[in-house]
Amino acid sequence: MKPNLGLVFFPAFDWMISPTHPERQERLLYTRDQLTEEGLFDVPQIREYRPRLAEINDLQRVHIGVPSIARLITPAHLTSAGGCLVAADAVMSGEVKRAFALVRPPGHHAMKIVHGIRGFCTINIEAVMVEYLRSVYGIKKIAVVDTDVHHGDGSEDIFYHDPNVLYISFHQDGRTLYPGTGFPEEAGSPAAWGTNINLPLLPGTGDEGLHRLYDGLIKNILEDFEPEIIINSAGQDNHFSDPLASMSVTAQGYAKLAQKLNADIAVLEGGYSVEAALPYVNTGIILAMADMDYSKVIEPDQSNLRKQDDRCNKRVDQLIAETGEMWHNRLKTSKEMLAKCQGTWSRKKNIYYDEEGIREEQIETLHYCNKCSGYHSIQTAAADTRFGDQSAFIISLNRDTCKTCQDAAYDEALKEKRKNKWQYVFVQHKANGEIETI
Amino acid sequence: MLLGIDVGGTFTDAVLIAQGQIIAQVKRKTTHEKILEGIIEALDEVLCNEDVSQIERVVISSTIVTNALTQGHIEPAFLAVMTGPGMNVSHSFPVEPYYVSGYVDHRGKVVAPIDWSKHQDLHKKLTTQVAAVSGKFSVRNPVNEETLAREIKDCSCKKVFLGSELSGELNFVRRTNSAYFSAIVTKEFEKFCQQIERSMKQRNITAPVHILKADGGTLPLAVALRQPIEAVFTGPAASILGIEALGASSLKSISLDVGGTTIDIAFWENGLPLMAKSGAVVDGYPTSVRSFHMRSIGIGGDSHVKRVGTDFSVGPERIGPAVAVGGQEATLSDALITAGYIEFGDKGAAQKAIQKFALPEENILEVAEKIINVATKQIEVTIQEMLHEWSIQPVYTVNDVIKGTDFEPELLIGVGGGAKGLIKALANKMALPFDVPRGAMVANAIGAALARPTLSASLRADTTEGYYLIPESGKREKLPSGFSLAKAEELLANWLREQTSKWQLPDQEVEVISKEFFRTIHGYYDSGEIISLSMQLKPGILQKVAGREVEL
Repeated sequence: MKPNLGLVFFPAFDWMISPTHPERQERLLYTRDQLTEEGLFDVPQIREYRPRLAEINDLQRVHIGVPSIARLITPAHLTSAGGCLVAADAVMSGEVKRAFALVRPPGHHAMKIVHGIRGFCTINIEAVMVEYLRSVYGIKKIAVVDTDVHHGDGSEDIFYHDPNVLYISFHQDGRTLYPGTGFPEEAGSPAAWGTNINLPLLPGTGDEGLHRLYDGLIKNILEDFEPEIIINSAGQDNHFSDPLASMSVTAQGYAKLAQKLNADIAVLEGGYSVEAALPYVNTGIILAMADMDYSKVIEPDQSNLRKQDDRCNKRVDQLIAETGEMWHNRLKTSKEMLAKCQGTWSRKKNIYYDEEGIREEQIETLHYCNKCSGYHSIQTAAADTRFGDQSAFIISLNRDTCKTCQDAAYDEALKEKRKNKWQYVFVQHKANGEIETI
Repeated sequence: MLLGIDVGGTFTDAVLIAQGQIIAQVKRKTTHEKILEGIIEALDEVLCNEDVSQIERVVISSTIVTNALTQGHIEPAFLAVMTGPGMNVSHSFPVEPYYVSGYVDHRGKVVAPIDWSKHQDLHKKLTTQVAAVSGKFSVRNPVNEETLAREIKDCSCKKVFLGSELSGELNFVRRTNSAYFSAIVTKEFEKFCQQIERSMKQRNITAPVHILKADGGTLPLAVALRQPIEAVFTGPAASILGIEALGASSLKSISLDVGGTTIDIAFWENGLPLMAKSGAVVDGYPTSVRSFHMRSIGIGGDSHVKRVGTDFSVGPERIGPAVAVGGQEATLSDALITAGYIEFGDKGAAQKAIQKFALPEENILEVAEKIINVATKQIEVTIQEMLHEWSIQPVYTVNDVIKGTDFEPELLIGVGGGAKGLIKALANKMALPFDVPRGAMVANAIGAALARPTLSASLRADTTEGYYLIPESGKREKLPSGFSLAKAEELLANWLREQTSKWQLPDQEVEVISKEFFRTIHGYYDSGEIISLSMQLKPGILQKVAGREVEL
């Protein structure tokens, strides 16, 4: 019998950000205890896999590190990214039906340009997996559903211009929680308008609101988009016991969602109620993804579980209506926006790295083309990184960037180089993860 | 003198060892219907000229538990489980369990005690003489399990096995199965132990009698009776210890115990066999019984050889003996004799049997090599699978991912009746050197005779909760002040030593099997430490032995 679920379990018992940090060795200890005690690793429906070390180029299909990715990461990051690649291989080779990379360190706050750690993340492990699926397996259309309580601003940043990645994130409203972003108007750049979907929920929203949102909106959008693969960024901090957030979702709520979503691959993100939530939420998600009975997975202590108030559903209904309409009109809107921007589109970003106190300013410019998906240029300047203040000018070439665009891109890079304004000038080749220093 | 008896599928061997020398050995056909009779006959024969007062210890490796399970000599047992929330376990055990309320969480906190009002029917359901009880996380806190066991005993149940007493390791399903299997074989095992004791007494043998376990350690009968399932699959364990006793190389090696029907394959490092990462599977159910990383395949010296088109099949059925020694049909041994890998029996007869297979354009040597190649290919495939399995075993630290767990064999070791020829052919194929230690023909009995007693136990301390627990002892006590990992090791080593002297086992080194140390944080502050420790009396053999060949 082919196992239903490939489980890449990697608790990284020797990795931490600092001894009292939420990302410390203890984080998945109780989850390990629970999964082992349940005997989940022995059932025929589940096959356990061990992560491998990702290659630097696997990371560089997504990221450009300043001064380099290699100097910003530890082997732990190669392992959690490698865990996602193992999960992808397990599913794509047909060894298992679905896979869950229950790994740390997490990744969804890591953006395309990396100067340090933000929101506990350095490498966006889902994005690394997405680009791997494309390079190795030729997958084109992918949906990423982010069920972490925090807005996955890193994933948004990376997928923002890609019409073939549908990124849906529901999260506690950014006005009440880190990273403070993730509003519905952030819906993608012109060519990808509508494929970045933010659904900010009111604090206190529980199973009821979550499933109302899924059934009334997310499900329909996913069906409409017709992705070849669905990825779940399976953060677990919407749980009622999470110390960093204020939502009211239960293990049952998460497990049911995992069942409905039927993701091909799930990847652990946040979730810091290490004793009261993670052991049960993970057990629930694993059982659901393995097509097993999860109805008995109930937290032993639900004394802090509050029923959601009426306003939560009202917000959900508002999101269903407004986002539903945005989605419906997305192609038309995209066309109008593209017509208006006349070949280039630009945005300015201020990015804060909470973990290291880094302030980054970025200007990102997209160059559109009729023959290909064009290329990006990015100007970045960051203060107070562990390498001091640093700046870079970066060109990012897509897989299909045509010869004319490539020439224009290199011209631009050389021109910037001659200005002597930047510490580094890089050209990223997304197809193979090579980063050229100009 | 140390006496070892091994009851195998084909032969019952007995061996007597003194000062590193085999001083007597016998080999008899196993009496499957009456295992005990065969044991006693072998015993009497090996001791016929010896002074029994000189015997220091008797170790028996028998198929009694394995046979009880496969032949259905079992007794019905009541199984009660306390699952709490989690996976639905209704198909995890050989029988549908009786569900009892009450739950302990992963930190060992009793979330809910047993609600007896829900179990008014317990007395009615309980109709058996033996029972097994098991609770999730009972190894973190056995209180509920113990309460339930007492209640069941009060219902006039003779013997109750507790999951937490069978293993201190996490894995509720495995512990439950171990407890259940122990319960159903206990009567048969007890009967066997009593008969052995009686027979020893009749022969004035006063030395302690031990039983070999699947992990290659021995236990005195009285201790073994508390965990009968540990005595399952002892044959392969005996063979492994035998190899160790005959002087396993310190190289990374692969051993092949070649019998008439099967080959047992195991891995070695630093002269010690590698243990499997999880417990043995009994009757299709995972248990907590520790055993070696090994596999059996259905190829042996007496394997039936058949022509399949231009190719051949070897095994898994046994047809022996070889034509060379009077058999009717060609076996693998005949091919090995024909190709010149070994010499025994009538070579002409073996050649004739192999010649029958030859197609017009084939010469007899080619045919023999082809047959051998079919066998060695199957063995090699199995070895490759085992190597792969070892290399992909889960690891939970970055350091271990980087280090890897690849096993690169440097030597093949052959033991058992059919080893000599086959190992040579395999070594050629795998381009590895090989070794066939002397005395390899009765390696199993030697292994049994020389096996060390083993006891393992675990300790878990949670300084926030302020207690430590040794699940195997049911001991849950307040933490002494200044607790540390070193202190934990001391406590557990002391407990193991207490057991050693209680059961009059020889003094033995205590070693750490695994340890974990985690700092726990509550809120944003350091709140305590969790220490998990697992230790054992160092397994292995009491002494090495110089082999002596035995004529069959």
